[in-house]
Amino acid sequence: MALLRSAASGLRSLFRKKQVTQELDEELNGYLEMAAEEKMRRGMSREEALRSVRLEQGSHEVTKEVVRAASWESIVETCWQDLRFAARMLLKHPGFTAVAVLTLALGIGANTAIFTMVDTLLFRPLPVRNPHDLTFLAFPRDASHFEPEFSGLEFRQIHDQTRGVFSDVEAMVLGGLSGPASRPDGLTVDAITRPAQPLFVTGNFFQMLGIRPYLGRLILSSEGNIPAGDPVVVLSFRYWKTRFHSDPGVINKIAFINGQPVTIVGVAPRDFLGPTPLVEMEAYLPLGMMTVETGGSTAFLSDVGTRDLIIVARLAPGVSIERANAALAPLGSQLAKQYPRPGVGTALQARHLRPPGLVNGPNPLPALAALFLTLSGLVLALACLNVANLSLVRAAGRQREMAVRAALGGTRPRLIRHLLIETILVALFGAAAGMIVGTFSLRALSSAATVTDLPLVAEFPFNAHVFVYALGIAIVAAVIVGIIPALRVSSGNLSNMLRQGGRSSTARSQRMRTALVAAQVGGSLALLIIAGLFARSLSSAQHSDLGFDPKNILNVALDPGEIGYTQTQGEDFYNQLRSRVRTLPGVQSVSFAAIVPLGDTVQGNDITIPGYTPQRGEQLHADYNALSPEYFKTMKIAVLSGRDFLDSDTASSPRVALINEAMAERFWHGANPIGRNFNRSGDSQHTIEIVGVVRNSRIEDPYSPYSPAFYVPILQSYSSAQTLQIRTAGPPQAIAPEVLAVIRGIAPTAPVLHVRTMTDAVNNGAGGLFLFNLGAELTAALGLLGLTLAVVGIYGVMAYAVGQRTQEIVVRIALGAQRTNILWMISRQGLAIVGSGLVLGLPVALVVGRFVGDFLVGIGPTDPLTYISTSILLSFVALTACYIPAHRATRLDSIVALRYE
Amino acid sequence: MANKSSDLIQGTLDMLILKTLALESMHGYGIAVRLEQMSKGVFRLNAGSLFVAFQRLQRAGLITTEWKATENSRRAKYYALTTQGRKKLNSETREWGRQVAAIARILEAS
Repeated sequence: MALLRSAASGLRSLFRKKQVTQELDEELNGYLEMAAEEKMRRGMSREEALRSVRLEQGSHEVTKEVVRAASWESIVETCWQDLRFAARMLLKHPGFTAVAVLTLALGIGANTAIFTMVDTLLFRPLPVRNPHDLTFLAFPRDASHFEPEFSGLEFRQIHDQTRGVFSDVEAMVLGGLSGPASRPDGLTVDAITRPAQPLFVTGNFFQMLGIRPYLGRLILSSEGNIPAGDPVVVLSFRYWKTRFHSDPGVINKIAFINGQPVTIVGVAPRDFLGPTPLVEMEAYLPLGMMTVETGGSTAFLSDVGTRDLIIVARLAPGVSIERANAALAPLGSQLAKQYPRPGVGTALQARHLRPPGLVNGPNPLPALAALFLTLSGLVLALACLNVANLSLVRAAGRQREMAVRAALGGTRPRLIRHLLIETILVALFGAAAGMIVGTFSLRALSSAATVTDLPLVAEFPFNAHVFVYALGIAIVAAVIVGIIPALRVSSGNLSNMLRQGGRSSTARSQRMRTALVAAQVGGSLALLIIAGLFARSLSSAQHSDLGFDPKNILNVALDPGEIGYTQTQGEDFYNQLRSRVRTLPGVQSVSFAAIVPLGDTVQGNDITIPGYTPQRGEQLHADYNALSPEYFKTMKIAVLSGRDFLDSDTASSPRVALINEAMAERFWHGANPIGRNFNRSGDSQHTIEIVGVVRNSRIEDPYSPYSPAFYVPILQSYSSAQTLQIRTAGPPQAIAPEVLAVIRGIAPTAPVLHVRTMTDAVNNGAGGLFLFNLGAELTAALGLLGLTLAVVGIYGVMAYAVGQRTQEIVVRIALGAQRTNILWMISRQGLAIVGSGLVLGLPVALVVGRFVGDFLVGIGPTDPLTYISTSILLSFVALTACYIPAHRATRLDSIVALRYE
Repeated sequence: MANKSSDLIQGTLDMLILKTLALESMHGYGIAVRLEQMSKGVFRLNAGSLFVAFQRLQRAGLITTEWKATENSRRAKYYALTTQGRKKLNSETREWGRQVAAIARILEAS
């Protein structure tokens, strides 16, 4: 109650300050008047009485101040005063303020963006109930690979025999991804077909996750068990929003998945992008509906050898993942005995679903994340150094101001508070601007997506936690550097400072600034070197021999299976397409391929070779692709011996294949492989005869050593999804409209998944140069940022140094010093800074470079050319920054300068 | 400048003001004069410390204020005890008596 009253009264005096002051004034006046009257009664004259009262009571104003200062609201008031004062001081030095704010904005913005991206990709748990209890099951293959797919029979058994370990055991199939072309299914509504990445789930999947639909309903527990039995689909929020413009009317509408009718029954929650990292799930269907992808086959449920199901299980309350794995061991050995998996361990494991979850094999993301966090941290450090440096420069200039204020009665705490408020103000402005920088960087990052037919999770919403974190760092840094001048003032000798007219920059503070700038130069050198390494790596990847010629090829990705075409219909479609496109003007050759190299996926096949005895543990494995005749002509891949595919290689003719040099070398060791045979595993009836050898060409990425690969006719290994590839005489894009018209002419509703040039596919494809480009761009941006900060730092220090030495310089000139001598005198200082910066920066770059080594192609992390060229670049830029103030010094007019002093 | 308030034990000024107001409401100067008279000139307060104390007591809800005309028909702010203030005065007085007695016993014991 008393507190409340105090607060109310305090607020009253804050907001109705004038009235409260008046009241106090009146009361005090009355008091003094009465005291004076008393004295007058005792016989004093009015003047005498008033004088005596003033003597007794002290200054009227001081008394008022004492009363005011005794209340809590006075602290608020002085803080407000300080804040206004600080703002005024900052506005008086717009240059300093702008540079400091901008510097912090860049540092905070860059960090917010990169932390947000890392958080989204690596750390954010799934938006479901108790996400850390969710696991998926897998058999281990080696240290980094595992087998997470199970047959329907294995799933049943695991589901029934793990009651004590898991509270829920459900299965899902990432649709399309396991198929040959790894393309989403087609979702047709109102006769328009668009791809949708499907996830097929068992009935209790969503109950296990504990999430509620945004609209309509999710998959029910009664659904999913019967093949093709429950034709319903749940859309993801984003798919619904972008494709159907958030129209609630699509609920209960009939749609077609790959031509099969289903009912849209609901929309998944807004933030749920599916259980996997990186790829967003857009359509959820009951597991039994997998038949829309398998062409009616139910092998995924009942066949022993068909392993398509991923098992997701929630740990029972109180069960740790270690305990679960111990309990799973006997079941694992039992399953391994019942359903053998050659070359795979028997220790069935539960693994956390996220992060990183279902990433099989060595996951490069954590290392990449660590690298970019380090680099952006370096940028923030440089930004803080820069602000520290600027503050120091400014503090030196303000020593006189501080001394005057101290002499006028500013107490040390009050002076420190002033400076603190100033720096915090700068940090806050920097943070506000940093928020803008961060938002724009994130937008740029989100749009820097690879060209892919998969719906990648490439949206990085602004992350408030990250922002607060960066803001905190900036404020702490600002406070540390901000109070230095205040501390110095209180320790210094006031009268000395006043007498020296503010030119008392001590050797100590100059040394400190020099060290700070040297550190900045060093840090920015490290950033530049990393950027240089990535740029060189990109260029070496760009110039690597692909083995095919991507110029003048147009890729048109098609999948008539998305509108329900059978194999016969599909083959007919592709056949017509080929003969019509061939007749278009400017077309040199036309071919089809199941997949395009350097894209999202590679297909691999285990093989057996009659007469070849594998060494112990050797697995015969090769990449493969299914092609039409003329493919090698279109791609300009040389057929070295034997023959190309012919139109006579059909489903009814003998099976044939072409192989690459690497495969010939690996399995036939230089002997002529033509006429030799092999079998694809799982297809022992069809023996394939090798009819030709082609030159090695890039398949998965542009830098790894070539691995064995074979090619089969697409008529002998049908894929509904094919990419039409056209080699043209002129620019390939020019022909796109005519090609699309031809496709519409043959099948008006057949969806075209994408049209792009082969060059674009190579430059931006997931397996192509996308990561090289992204890495080079990101590091270049950070390096440029570092360079800018270093230049600002050097320029600031040099300009200040020249300013401080103006008097000395003009005296020297007046005494006959040559301008070149002056130039040298000033530049020497700059050279020393840059030199020590290089010495500092090189070891840092070497350390960071070791982390980078894995991401570089064609050069090592200590590539001398990069180190030397970036050092020269930095020195050149830095010395230019030194030269400007030095040059200005030589132009000083003695008389003017001396008079000014 | 006679400022004896520093000789006052911390907190006793509040008690003395409450005591002064126990009989009737008074304005600031009146309180100062009364305190000086009652203490026979020992406590001579300056306006600053007095007004700070008023502000404190008022915010604690022990006294209320009202602008009224003085006997000399001058406008002045009058302070009066609240019920809570009266209670506080009683308890403080009792406590003060106990402490003084205790101190006296200690001093006499030697």
